[in-house]
Amino acid sequence: MTSRRHRRLWGRTAVPYALIAPVVVTIALILGYPLYFLVRLSLQQYGLFELIRHKGVGVGLANYRSVLHDQIFWHTLLRTIVFTAANVALTMVVGLLIALLLVQVSRPVRVLLSSGLVLVWSMPVVVAVQVWYWMTNFENGVVNYVLTHLHLGSFEQHDWYASTFSQLSMVTLLIVWGALPFVAITLYAGLAQVPRDLLEAASVDGAGAWMKFRDITLPILRPILLILTSLSIIWDFGVFTQPYLLIGQSKVTPGNFLMSIYLFEEGYFKSDYGRGAAISLLMLAIVGVLSIVYVRRMVRIGVET
Amino acid sequence: MKRRSIAALLLVTVVAAAVAATTSGATKKANASSITVWLQTDAQSGWADLVASVNQKFQSDHPGTTVNIQYQGWGDHLQKFDATLAGGGGPDVIEMGNTEMTKYMAAGAFADLSSSKSGFDNSGSWLKGLAASGVYKGKTYGVPYYAGSRVVTYRSDLFKKAGISKLPTSTAAYTADAKKLMAKNGKKGFSPIYIAGTDWYFGMSFVFDYGGGIATQVSGKWKGLLASPKSIAGLTAYKNFFAATSRASKTTDETHPNPYDVYAQGQAASMIGPSWFSCCVGAKYKGSTAQFVMPGHVAGTSMPGFLGGSDLAVPITSSQKALATDWIKDFTSTSSEKTLQAKGNIPNATNLLGSTVNERAASRSWFVPTAKHWVDVENGNILRNMLAQILTGKLSVKQAAQSASDNIASVLNQP
Amino acid sequence: MKPRQLGWDALGIAVFVVMVFPVFWMISTAFKPNDLIVSLTPTWIPLHPTFDHFTDAIHRPYFWTDVKNSLIIVCVTVALSIALAFLAAIALARFGFAGRKLFVVLVIGIQMLPQAGLIIPLYVVLARYHQVNTLTGVIVTYMTFVLPFSVWTLRGFLLGIPKELEEAAMVDGSTRVGVFLKILLPLMGPGLVATSVFAFITTWNEYIFARILLNDQSKQTVTVWLSYFYSTNRHTDWGALMAASTLTAVPVVVFFLLVQRRIAFGLTSGAVRG
Repeated sequence: MTSRRHRRLWGRTAVPYALIAPVVVTIALILGYPLYFLVRLSLQQYGLFELIRHKGVGVGLANYRSVLHDQIFWHTLLRTIVFTAANVALTMVVGLLIALLLVQVSRPVRVLLSSGLVLVWSMPVVVAVQVWYWMTNFENGVVNYVLTHLHLGSFEQHDWYASTFSQLSMVTLLIVWGALPFVAITLYAGLAQVPRDLLEAASVDGAGAWMKFRDITLPILRPILLILTSLSIIWDFGVFTQPYLLIGQSKVTPGNFLMSIYLFEEGYFKSDYGRGAAISLLMLAIVGVLSIVYVRRMVRIGVET
Repeated sequence: MKRRSIAALLLVTVVAAAVAATTSGATKKANASSITVWLQTDAQSGWADLVASVNQKFQSDHPGTTVNIQYQGWGDHLQKFDATLAGGGGPDVIEMGNTEMTKYMAAGAFADLSSSKSGFDNSGSWLKGLAASGVYKGKTYGVPYYAGSRVVTYRSDLFKKAGISKLPTSTAAYTADAKKLMAKNGKKGFSPIYIAGTDWYFGMSFVFDYGGGIATQVSGKWKGLLASPKSIAGLTAYKNFFAATSRASKTTDETHPNPYDVYAQGQAASMIGPSWFSCCVGAKYKGSTAQFVMPGHVAGTSMPGFLGGSDLAVPITSSQKALATDWIKDFTSTSSEKTLQAKGNIPNATNLLGSTVNERAASRSWFVPTAKHWVDVENGNILRNMLAQILTGKLSVKQAAQSASDNIASVLNQP
Repeated sequence: MKPRQLGWDALGIAVFVVMVFPVFWMISTAFKPNDLIVSLTPTWIPLHPTFDHFTDAIHRPYFWTDVKNSLIIVCVTVALSIALAFLAAIALARFGFAGRKLFVVLVIGIQMLPQAGLIIPLYVVLARYHQVNTLTGVIVTYMTFVLPFSVWTLRGFLLGIPKELEEAAMVDGSTRVGVFLKILLPLMGPGLVATSVFAFITTWNEYIFARILLNDQSKQTVTVWLSYFYSTNRHTDWGALMAASTLTAVPVVVFFLLVQRRIAFGLTSGAVRG
């Protein structure tokens, strides 16, 4: 087996532990106590009064019970899961298509497109939200103007933020647009690892484009695809800045909450830090369950060092 | 040999980390004679020169003391403040919006300034509404800083063209004028009166004008008032007024877009908002822009307007409470307040009041219930949501008001 | 050129236009005088561009200080994180060791933590060590978020490199460090670039923690500086905001162009074209 030979090659020493030590120590030093603090908070009645006195009252699992009995929690969870699925699917599919397109186009177009992707990527989220909002605004948004002038219907004074569905769709567009550069460029970097002689040999053997993609490219991209998908699930499930700023604080209601906004409203605006901590930890558990398939596959692939 | 190389590599990174940590991390020890002041960015963009001159005076009165001003935004200054309450390192003086005060006073976040109240200029004649926002259970925690009222900003050229010779003195007259303005300016999206649909400050003005209210305390318990017949009459009047006069989005708030941007586009003949809106009406309309007080439904009266404003408070975590109080004294002195007034704000005391439109509008005003949990009602957008439901017709006025009223009562009555 | 190639290129340009439009709109707005900005009919390209918004933005207080702060924070965070993460990624991708699964779970789990929930706990801890309102506090905070995903992605790239290459080199008598320097490092080029670009952009653009942890305007980062344009109750100056946003994007683009040339972004892939 290659793996056994390999292990012998690198030695069965303390080397791997030394290699991971810096990362583990850094994370433990910085996040260790905050995590403990978060868990402790979640078991306490901890409001503004307690915050000022640095002392909460232990209430056992009351915060968790109260969250799990909150209808808003369940509605928000369902909405967030659907939202996450839509975002991740769109991001991955379009991202892969763009990466493949990058391989197909001629060199000047590739440079143009990849620079464009980096430009998009380099927009700070807070700025992107402002520009996006401005492009879609009710009074003189350029999107309404363009759609109207392309004769796609009358979009003059179309309100893109009137319904929950429309609001979240705009947020999805913004998130996918912002996430595409990372996904496309990472996948493109992964495509560079596809051995070209293999593809050429396949062409000589008469393999079509789809067959080459399925049998050669996809298996090589698989670890990267898995990582990107699991990262996207994690990020989109917990996304805060884009929906909060684009929908606008003044329009955030339980009817359009996403999980992190629910957490922010309950924990910070209502100054119920204990409940906020409980929601944080529940979110951690839920996203863990949601991405467990990917994580397990990751670990399995990882075992074949 | 090989292992040593990896160890060396590790050592390099660890050393690099340590160096980075020490070079950029020299923590400044809390200077015994320095105070930190959190003001909102309004001061930075509006009256930074006043802040500088007050600091100068303060520092010459307190030799060796430095004042560190840190400007904050409205969106997140409370979250930042909460973090400092938990961990320390917070300000010695903080500016708070008047609707934000009660929750923090109730939790004991501020130092009691009652004993030094008489030392503040004009403290005997502080604006009632504003001073009340800084008082909890008879103790003074907040010092009024400045106030702002809402007025009508309008295009005199368009009014003249529509044949309006006299400014409206009642809501009905204003509605009739709006129809004339509309007839003369048939453009798509043009509003005779631009009103953001969920501008609850304006919506509630109708409720108060008709004698209604938001909530009241009956023997220690909060009771919602929005579903009362008077409040319903006010909300219905708002609905009709909006339908007849505004083409703004029914679901948007008063900052998306900024009403003055719509006005600057030539898409509004008038708009409702703070008097400083006149700053940003666009170069084209600057000369023809003027303001008047929003009239009430009874001819000759003005409509009660929301009295916005800020207080200054000393957080309980401050280690320089005496110095902080002295700084507030300088910053709210008669001369400081006069400077604020010159910048278009309402000064904090009645004896300083002039007769600008802004100040006349403040003569009839309303304020939110001074309840510990009021800020949760605001942040939960209960009122905005209700207005959107009413304007879009999703719910009848009665249904929307009833559900908002119940909702508010339950939020305010939380322990 | 083959017509098929032309088709692909046309598609590539179309994707470019759609993706870049918001960026274009930001830059174009930054050059427009105010009356064109609020106009109901959009002006695509201002014929008489104005630089007023840029001069206005640059002359706002603390611009250069905050740019410097951001650069320090980003460079230290990225350099340290990539170095540490690369080592850990090698351990994960090339070694079998007890506790590896636990480490993988740690790396993934950290990223699942909702950041909003950590604001107060992190503040309290950093305050205890007097790292609130310091760049170090922000750097270490960022490292906890950059490290896990860097380990994660670098490991993915390492898995794509056939280990037979290393084995062959070892058989040829190379040392372990020699293998690392001669085989792994060059082959990891695209992976290291992609990861550090990502780390760079994430840290450069981060807002929430920088906002909470840094109080002095002289210690803040560029994104926090930027927020002063729109977090005011008063007039939002769109032109200046767009100009300022354009300026904050510049370092990221410059950084990318630098590494792109170094690693020759297009070269390896040019060979792959089917």
